[in-house]
Amino acid sequence: MSNKKRKTRGVIEGHTKALATGFRYLVEPNRMTLDYPAETIKLPSNYRGFFTVDDKKCIGCSMCEMVCPPEAITMVPRVVSSGGNTVPADQETSTGAKPAKKTKRPVVNWGRCIFCYFCFDICPVDAFISSPVHDLSFYDDADYRPTYEKYLKLPEEPYKDSKKVTSKPDLKRGIKYEPAP
Amino acid sequence: MALLPLIIWLIEDLLYVIVFPGLVVIMIIVIFLIYLERKIAAKVQMRFGPLWVSKKIGGALQSIADLMRFSFQEFILPNGSDSLAFLMAPGLMFSFALLPLIFIPVGPYYTSLFPSGLTILFSIALITITPIYAIIVGWSSDNKFSFIGSLREAFLLISYEIPLLLSVVAMIIIYKTLDYLPAVAFQEVHSLPGIIINPIAALVFIIVAIRSTGRFPFDITEADSELVMGLFTEYSALFFGIGMATPYIELYIMSLIFSLLFLGGWWPISSHSAGLIGGLFLPGVAVIMKAFIVMAILVFLRSVYPRYRLDQAVRSGWDKIIYLSIIAVLVSIVEAIVI
Repeated sequence: MSNKKRKTRGVIEGHTKALATGFRYLVEPNRMTLDYPAETIKLPSNYRGFFTVDDKKCIGCSMCEMVCPPEAITMVPRVVSSGGNTVPADQETSTGAKPAKKTKRPVVNWGRCIFCYFCFDICPVDAFISSPVHDLSFYDDADYRPTYEKYLKLPEEPYKDSKKVTSKPDLKRGIKYEPAP
Repeated sequence: MALLPLIIWLIEDLLYVIVFPGLVVIMIIVIFLIYLERKIAAKVQMRFGPLWVSKKIGGALQSIADLMRFSFQEFILPNGSDSLAFLMAPGLMFSFALLPLIFIPVGPYYTSLFPSGLTILFSIALITITPIYAIIVGWSSDNKFSFIGSLREAFLLISYEIPLLLSVVAMIIIYKTLDYLPAVAFQEVHSLPGIIINPIAALVFIIVAIRSTGRFPFDITEADSELVMGLFTEYSALFFGIGMATPYIELYIMSLIFSLLFLGGWWPISSHSAGLIGGLFLPGVAVIMKAFIVMAILVFLRSVYPRYRLDQAVRSGWDKIIYLSIIAVLVSIVEAIVI
């Protein structure tokens, strides 16, 4: 009997406590949400966002294509031009007697990429260039599979005018956002 | 020329049902309440809630935007559904949820609109009809989630209907009437609201109100993590909007009844005031404000409680709430003898 009494008291106490806690949070809201498009977190430059490749550094070894887990990277045939850049293989511009040097360059299918950055890790010449741009989607299905020329340009950061903040752990609030330096 | 008073009476009746405290007021209250519910839950759960639809006023137009979305959405009739029942049930559910309003006076002027001495009896009887259409909705969709949802509704209906009736019976014993007007007059004469006269009955009524309107912690029939959207899984467009609004209308009706039976009705305003303004509008505003506070408190529970399992809810219905309601009746009998 005494056990049951204690149980009943515990139930009443529990409900009261829960309601009181809820009410306390209602009166003193403790928001941890980032007001996202208006405020964005300042990300480091080596953040795993959209990336591109340095056309001059790449040696066309196809290691990135091999290691890519979702098979998002495909190698496209290219030809090294006189300036050191590459041009599409069908526009062969052989200079003088020397035959043009055939090579390959990676292109990423953004619809498949999981941003694991294995390609960065395996690249023997560190040819990939990272960017913190991650919050981006495309309106057209074809935009997910860019051509090499399009792929070379890093996508522009959306919400450029947003307030940049940094997140900091806080004992009372959990997470605190402060204006980025 | 006896026709003119009849026409005026009819127009006043229509206005009572359609404008105040009927459809229009319900519409405004439901739209605002949904927004309030989301905002309260967001505040307690450290979020912003609806914000970006109209940022300057804190996202207050979100519910209206949702309503517009429901209005222009495509309606899909599932292949295996019982189409007649599928199309009719939400509308009937909505209407029967609205119907008790005819028997709920929001002011002393009400007697001249609907002369009846059995308003408590009628309104409580009509409240119990809505779940039947909920069961039809679940059955006609030909969807397992809807069907499970309707079965749960049936289980809960049976386990919580008796406490509802007993908690009202407890107040009827004290007020010695089946009509709301004498009940409110009783509270005014003794200057004691029903919640102080019999707090146990008030507690039982509140719990059953939460249950029958499917609010947390009893939103078992449309548990979104288990049953997608419960009864209304297969519905889209305005039919879904109706289904979403119905529990809020039930909540409004329940809160009106609660404020009449337990919170002194139109208490600051005298029962003897007459006329359309003094006898209907001002008391109506008082009652609706009380009902709105009750609704806001019930809506606040969403942010605090997790969901009960079906067996826990049914067990608490048969094991605890029903005893509480019997105790409430006994307390009322003792008080009636003493007073």
